[in-house]
Amino acid sequence: MEGISILDGKYAATMDMYPLQSKEFNMIYKFYDYLREGRFTTTKCKDCGTRSFPPRIICEECLSENLDWVDLPTGGTVKVVTEEVRGVPIGFDDPLIHALIDLDGELTYFARVINCQAGELKPGDRVKLAVFPIDPLPVDGRKGEIIKQERVFFAFEKED
Amino acid sequence: MARNVCLIAGGMSHWGVRQATQRDLFQEAGKACFDNIPALSNKDVDGLLVASAYTERCSFQTHLAPVIAEYLGIKPQNICARVELLCASGSSGIILAYGLIKAGIADVIMVIGGEMLYTPQRWEVQYSELASVDHDWDGTQGLGLPPPAFSMVAQQHMQKYGTTEEQLAMVSVKNRRNGLSNPKGQFQQEVTLEEALNARAIVPPLKLYDCCPITDGAAAVILASEEKAKYYTDKPLVYVKGSGQATLNNMSANMPSWTTWEALKIAAKQAYTKAGVQPSDIDVAQTHDCFTISEIIEYEDLGFCEKGEGGHFIEEGHSDIGGTVPVNTDGGLLSCGHPFGGTGIRQGIEIMKQLQGEAVKQVEGARTALTHNLSGFIAAHTVIIYGRDI
Ligand SMILES: [Zn+2]
Repeated sequence: MEGISILDGKYAATMDMYPLQSKEFNMIYKFYDYLREGRFTTTKCKDCGTRSFPPRIICEECLSENLDWVDLPTGGTVKVVTEEVRGVPIGFDDPLIHALIDLDGELTYFARVINCQAGELKPGDRVKLAVFPIDPLPVDGRKGEIIKQERVFFAFEKED
Repeated sequence: MARNVCLIAGGMSHWGVRQATQRDLFQEAGKACFDNIPALSNKDVDGLLVASAYTERCSFQTHLAPVIAEYLGIKPQNICARVELLCASGSSGIILAYGLIKAGIADVIMVIGGEMLYTPQRWEVQYSELASVDHDWDGTQGLGLPPPAFSMVAQQHMQKYGTTEEQLAMVSVKNRRNGLSNPKGQFQQEVTLEEALNARAIVPPLKLYDCCPITDGAAAVILASEEKAKYYTDKPLVYVKGSGQATLNNMSANMPSWTTWEALKIAAKQAYTKAGVQPSDIDVAQTHDCFTISEIIEYEDLGFCEKGEGGHFIEEGHSDIGGTVPVNTDGGLLSCGHPFGGTGIRQGIEIMKQLQGEAVKQVEGARTALTHNLSGFIAAHTVIIYGRDI
């Protein structure tokens, strides 16, 4: 065998979609820690008051590093619904449903809506944050040890 | 003393779903471009800019410019680099070549761009596209391939301005008709209004013919200082008159407006101002018709019509051959296809032909013309103005 076989699994890891989320690998790890608690958060500048999204490590307005974590609403109102029938990327269900969601005036986010059938979601519906586990990513540690990086991610779902 | 810069030659590979490698496509395009200007040889080119977005992902090739230089027998002395702005990579290359020649850093630059996208496996295309948006925040929502975003835009434009599915379909019918006699494009097939309206859904209200395809292909142009241009060609000179490129946000949550593309208005204003022209001076335009709704919003935000009037603009034939400003005369993305790095260059080639009086669908007496690209999650806009007069 010459080179690395696609069959040994390493190739797939290079195309993994989700970022590493622990303190060792990501400076905004708190976003993912809070997400595990069901909170949807971002950073806000303590110097100029700018609230950013996505969260970051410097304020894009005044370039300060003096940032706080603040909560965003975990519920919002659907403005526009899209249902992708063809061309859904592998790893996502068909039809893939997205909505432009007004998070109670704080943010307008175009995001995935899960646990929802085609035709079910309408403008005006209320949706809430949905947090789910995703497969851990194996990372090579010292002495050949494999560390599994536990991860979560989020979408939205209809309120009951 | 800044110099005048001309677009003096252009050519492209066959575009479509190709059984070829990235290198094959760039060689085809490079040869077609050199064949377009017999007096200039590959040895006369002193700069090379290569536009490609998915070279690492799909061809596992970085440091692409020297690879292409070697295959085309070009020995650059003043610039040899790759440019990437996804769908606007090619136009970005043209703007950079324009600036470098204008400033005297290089004299004759080839800008060549393209993509081999249906690799390593055909089904990977949709997954690869997750890299085209903010990967950590929008890509992870499954928003790589753009139809959901443009469906959301179309729904809002329809609600706000009364734009109809028929008007969307008319853009596709026009561009497919314009592309009928373009031998290098992906489709040479007419679509009727009825076929377009009854086509299968992609993301409603967008149907099959509302969406440009995913394409393998490459295209190349040569830009030169006015002095070198006069030396190498007897054809009418086509000047780059001005450009603008703007971005206000990248992530979807930071988009100022989905139905008025503020970054496009900024890029257009910069280009019009630098070129010293008005929207009403544009005789022919190639705009980024990745989706039918895009072309309609572009009429508005480029200033060809009032805001919200884009649907009527296509319906009344203003963007058709013989209209006030014919748009996408070579078929656009909807007919030619869209290998990201190649698209802005393909547009430049069509504009060059229009201004030289050699286009297949010639706009009589065209002297001032425009190209536009949007890229990413409608996150950046690029406008270039060309003309027979400087
Ligand atoms: Zn600040």
